[in-house]
Amino acid sequence: MKTLNLKRRHFLAGSAATIGLGMVGLPTAWAEGKTLKIRNYADIQNLDPAFNTAQADAVITDSLLLGLVRMKTGTEWGWEKEAAEEIEQVDPTHVRFKLKSGLKWSNGYGTLTAEDVKYSFERVANPKVQSPYIDDWATLDHVEVHDELSGTIVLKEPFAPLWTTTLPGWAGKIVSKAAMEKLPDQKFTTTMPAVSGPYMIKEWVPKQRLTLVRNPDYTGGETAYYDQIEVYPIEDEKAAEIAFESRDLDFTDISLSSLKTYKDKGMQDATITEHPALSYVWFGQNQENPALKDPKIREAIQKAIDVNTVLDAAYFGAATRATGIIAPGLVGHREANLTNFDPDAAREELKAAGAEGLKLKLSFLNKAEWVAAAQVIQANLADVGVDVTLEPLDSGTFWTIGDEKSGNSWKDLQLLLGRFSMNPDPAWATAWFTCKQVGVWDWERFCSKEYDQLHESGLRELDPAKRGEMYVKMQDIMEKSGSYLFLTHEATAAIYRNSVAPALKPDGTAVLWRFGAAA
Amino acid sequence: MWLYALQRFGMALLVCVLSVTVLFCIAYVIPGDPTAIALGPRATPEMREALRIRMGLGQPIYMQLYHFFSSLLRGDLGVDVWSNRPVIDIVKETLPKTMILAVTGLGWAALIGIPLGCYSAVRRNKLDDRIIGIFSIAMISTPSFLTAIYALLVFAVTLNWLPAIGAGEPGNFGDQVVHLILPAFAIGFAWVGYLSRLVRATMLEVLNETHIRFSRAFGLPEWKITLKYALKIAVLPTITLLGMAYGGLLSSAVFAEIIFNRPGVGQSALAAVNTRNYPVMMGLTLSTIFIFTMCTLIADLLVAALDPKIRKGL
Repeated sequence: MKTLNLKRRHFLAGSAATIGLGMVGLPTAWAEGKTLKIRNYADIQNLDPAFNTAQADAVITDSLLLGLVRMKTGTEWGWEKEAAEEIEQVDPTHVRFKLKSGLKWSNGYGTLTAEDVKYSFERVANPKVQSPYIDDWATLDHVEVHDELSGTIVLKEPFAPLWTTTLPGWAGKIVSKAAMEKLPDQKFTTTMPAVSGPYMIKEWVPKQRLTLVRNPDYTGGETAYYDQIEVYPIEDEKAAEIAFESRDLDFTDISLSSLKTYKDKGMQDATITEHPALSYVWFGQNQENPALKDPKIREAIQKAIDVNTVLDAAYFGAATRATGIIAPGLVGHREANLTNFDPDAAREELKAAGAEGLKLKLSFLNKAEWVAAAQVIQANLADVGVDVTLEPLDSGTFWTIGDEKSGNSWKDLQLLLGRFSMNPDPAWATAWFTCKQVGVWDWERFCSKEYDQLHESGLRELDPAKRGEMYVKMQDIMEKSGSYLFLTHEATAAIYRNSVAPALKPDGTAVLWRFGAAA
Repeated sequence: MWLYALQRFGMALLVCVLSVTVLFCIAYVIPGDPTAIALGPRATPEMREALRIRMGLGQPIYMQLYHFFSSLLRGDLGVDVWSNRPVIDIVKETLPKTMILAVTGLGWAALIGIPLGCYSAVRRNKLDDRIIGIFSIAMISTPSFLTAIYALLVFAVTLNWLPAIGAGEPGNFGDQVVHLILPAFAIGFAWVGYLSRLVRATMLEVLNETHIRFSRAFGLPEWKITLKYALKIAVLPTITLLGMAYGGLLSSAVFAEIIFNRPGVGQSALAAVNTRNYPVMMGLTLSTIFIFTMCTLIADLLVAALDPKIRKGL
């Protein structure tokens, strides 16, 4: 018969283990309830919709505040009603709306009214407020309030991006007038004074975690599935991938360089999703630089670059070639490029232009994909006799090299790899290449009066077909200048547990509050 | 001793002031306009100008330096340009986490490295000394980021024993300890080898000294000679090294903070440099310089306390 032989040493070891477990805490999964753990690519900095610093802020604001309308999730860009019960464009400059009744603000700030809508939109449009999103309301005249729940948005002139980006975007979010007026300067950063959306912030531990919980005062209709969403700011994509694999996250974006690995190895309890992004990446040439002033030289360089090889090297085959700066699915997307890879023609044209033995410098952001892209471009250009020196730069330096106000580096800028992200309206792609942007964000120093006129007309044209033709023409003008070679719109990829049903916009941006459980 | 301490303290203060001045000047020389980076393409020139004024960038550098030091004397490190949070709050949040990481990393390295070095010296040229030597060199040669990644893959991803990211639940001591294990292991790994080699070398030197031979002649037990007499002397250079190492680890903790997504000075300083967020950059750098200088000072004072000869010359 066995007897329990408990020695002093066993007792001490057992006690230590018990204390250890108590310190560590039991596995928390069983106690979490419906909690979603998700990665944000950066920590929040400013949740005020008039001053959101990046998508990392906006993705949180989206769950806290309502707009009249919101972007649809799914595969096609579009909008649907949110706080508005009725909304209608009665003529090119008037939009009438009626709010749902009973929408409440948290912290005892009463109901959401048309006065709040007027305050929010006019605040962004007011130059004294200095919102970076003032251009979203560039043609706003005022908002007329008819009664507690209804009003009319009055524009000075038609504004095509109103329905694609302004109303469903950051500038269309409604803040509480009463709560804002109590704040110094009527501004806030990370402490939102009142929320109306499905979630509210329970706790923010800077650089560690933001916890969202259900807003008990939310009466907006569609309810959120998760009781709590834990948002972890993880800047490094690879760190996020490891966190997902170790089950610290339920959903995260993954890098395109990891996409193939994940696909190949397959994860039993996870699903990968890919989306075409809206951003656009291009190879640019500073047309005012003495070495690149001749359009024939620029055109020859365009032809010397094998874009498909560049993309294979930089994105591991996960990104397709762009035909312009407007992504597929948006008004104004172009079907094909005008220039194609033709090294023989490039050699001949360079010879004809007397540019044999040309020496140039290619500046780009010091990130793995850019370095790979730059190396292929360097090899392509070497093949036609152009000697390229690579200049990788840190983000702080890179984003000012073409800016006239930041010094004289713009004069030495020759070749560059550029990337801009954008909202789902073509005007946000073309806005940075107008003549007034030369030396600001137009570092190729491209300037075309015809392009500028088309851009202005495109903002006011409400017929999508006519508008589309304008943007196609603008991209043709850009490409014909020789200063641009369109590379890609990139792609986004994410991975999530099979138990999660993610809610994503067509470009893969997460709409946190609409995440649910998989059937 | 007091005079020595006072002199060392004055020197430490001077080092702090000079380092901050140099860094301040470097920060303003590097290219990159913070207003363009912060406000993005949608900012109007007026907005950028307003931010430039708010950041004090329009003033000559000596005026900016003067304002920085005068604010510093009032305990004001300025305000984060983008989130409007006081920099002192950011320092208070991040610095303790980095310090704890560095203490733990160095702590476990010292706990293993010093006895290992001591044992190695006593067992000079025997098989176990050679094995320890091989392992020590291997540990020194392994880059810390590699240790971090493999530790993550093994203990977090494959075995799922330890968390991969974060610093643990605020207020939950146990959780914070668990989150500390992998990063501390990663940054301390190479130091086990360093310390073991250093202690072995100094111990061998001391064990050959006359007073140790006398002790043996008097018939004192070997363990007493080793631990009470030899190690006390041999550990002096190790203390100095630990002081320097701690300061060094504060800055090298940056890779651990990025790989393990652990909030800390390194991660925040890197983000501040990339966005040219000067107040945060200077606040975090200043705090790191201060801690580094203090560690060196404490190490010097400890050595002086143990060895009176040191006090004679600064």
